[in-house]
Amino acid sequence: MTALALIQTELTQMLGDKGAATGEITADTPLLNGPFDIDSLDLATLVVTLEEKTGLTPFAGGFVLFHTAGELAALFGD
Amino acid sequence: MPAILNPRFELIGSRTLGASALTPKGGVVDVAKAGTRGVIGALLAAEAGEDAWLLRDAASPPDASAGDGRVWLQTSGTTGKPKWAGYSVAHLAARIAAGKGERARWLLTYNPGAFAGVQVILSAMMGGHVLVAPAPGAPVSEMARIAASTGVTHVSGTPTFWRAFLMALGDAPLSLRSITLGGEAVDQPLLDSLKHRFPQAALRHIYATTEVGTVFSVSDGRAGFPRDWLYQPLNGLKLTLSADDTLRVENPKASGMAQNQVWDTGDVVELSGDRVLFKGRMDAMVNVGGVKVFPETVEAHLLALPFVQDVRVTPKPNPITGHVLTADIVLKPFSGEVEPKIKAHLAELPRAARPASLRFVDTLDIGATGKKLRAV
Repeated sequence: MTALALIQTELTQMLGDKGAATGEITADTPLLNGPFDIDSLDLATLVVTLEEKTGLTPFAGGFVLFHTAGELAALFGD
Repeated sequence: MPAILNPRFELIGSRTLGASALTPKGGVVDVAKAGTRGVIGALLAAEAGEDAWLLRDAASPPDASAGDGRVWLQTSGTTGKPKWAGYSVAHLAARIAAGKGERARWLLTYNPGAFAGVQVILSAMMGGHVLVAPAPGAPVSEMARIAASTGVTHVSGTPTFWRAFLMALGDAPLSLRSITLGGEAVDQPLLDSLKHRFPQAALRHIYATTEVGTVFSVSDGRAGFPRDWLYQPLNGLKLTLSADDTLRVENPKASGMAQNQVWDTGDVVELSGDRVLFKGRMDAMVNVGGVKVFPETVEAHLLALPFVQDVRVTPKPNPITGHVLTADIVLKPFSGEVEPKIKAHLAELPRAARPASLRFVDTLDIGATGKKLRAV
């Protein structure tokens, strides 16, 4: 599974769990302040899940700026 | 016979030794090698005016040059280099209540070289009781086996120890008369489980700090302590709250502290009805996206679930919110598929306090103090 596919699956699950609207997530979809109800705690949880499932820790050295699902996927190996 | 060694005392370790077989030996005592017998030798040597260093972590050797008859203990050093603190035997023994009533069979669950371990050893020595001492570092499953086969009656341990002990003991016949918990905050489900498993036992939890010693002991079977103990004289001390809701001890009489001094324990409490409950350590508080959360509070919330045996909640650095919490969970046997139930239960907590990941593990790492390791 690519990191982007993982992000799509996890975000859809997360939005469903909290009863928020879901929809198509592409590489260009902004994560915060985008079309979906994603806040910083959701994003923090998503990062933990990605770290656990990929074994990668792209933020170990500090914060790296990302806006879209594709940019986050790139940090996790895509 | 030395004052701290009652002639009726008996040590059951790899073999059984009577009081007359125990001899003083001071100097540096390697606890892992010398075991409980070595610690007893060190205590006897210190009583006779010799110094003794109970070495547990060789990375921090003692400056063995004192010479006024002290027992030197090494702190566990979970958050840094272990430190040495010297105590006179008289000071250590002052906390021990004189033995009365039937002869007890104590199980030593602490490392014999730790402060709490020395307290249990001295209690048994002075009271003329039997001390059952597993090898230092023995797993809890081994302690449960030894407890059942030797028929111990008195056990003192951390809440983390007790949860694992209950699980390891299963249905093995064991009738305890005295149960003591200390070193960590006690949760109500654990007290209830202990009451259910050992209905005959006197149950108490002790609140002590390294700096002040024992502050109070609670024996009403409820977590926390009575609210009317605050702002009142209590065992020669007074408990107050700081502006941050940490518990403070005033006027401690223990040595090393001046009169009228105020010691902030760093334990955050909350008032709940007629009770004062512990929320967690101030230094364990985590900022998750601007919200202050206590890992211990989340642990207590999860421990209320009947299929959760034990849990450790730890902070993990996170690029978005600074930290998030993660949980390692030990389930009771045959719990089945419980993750959805755990998630539903966690939804009762504020979002920042909900662990971002749940890991299911067989055991938790227990530090040399018997407490959960809390590496950040």
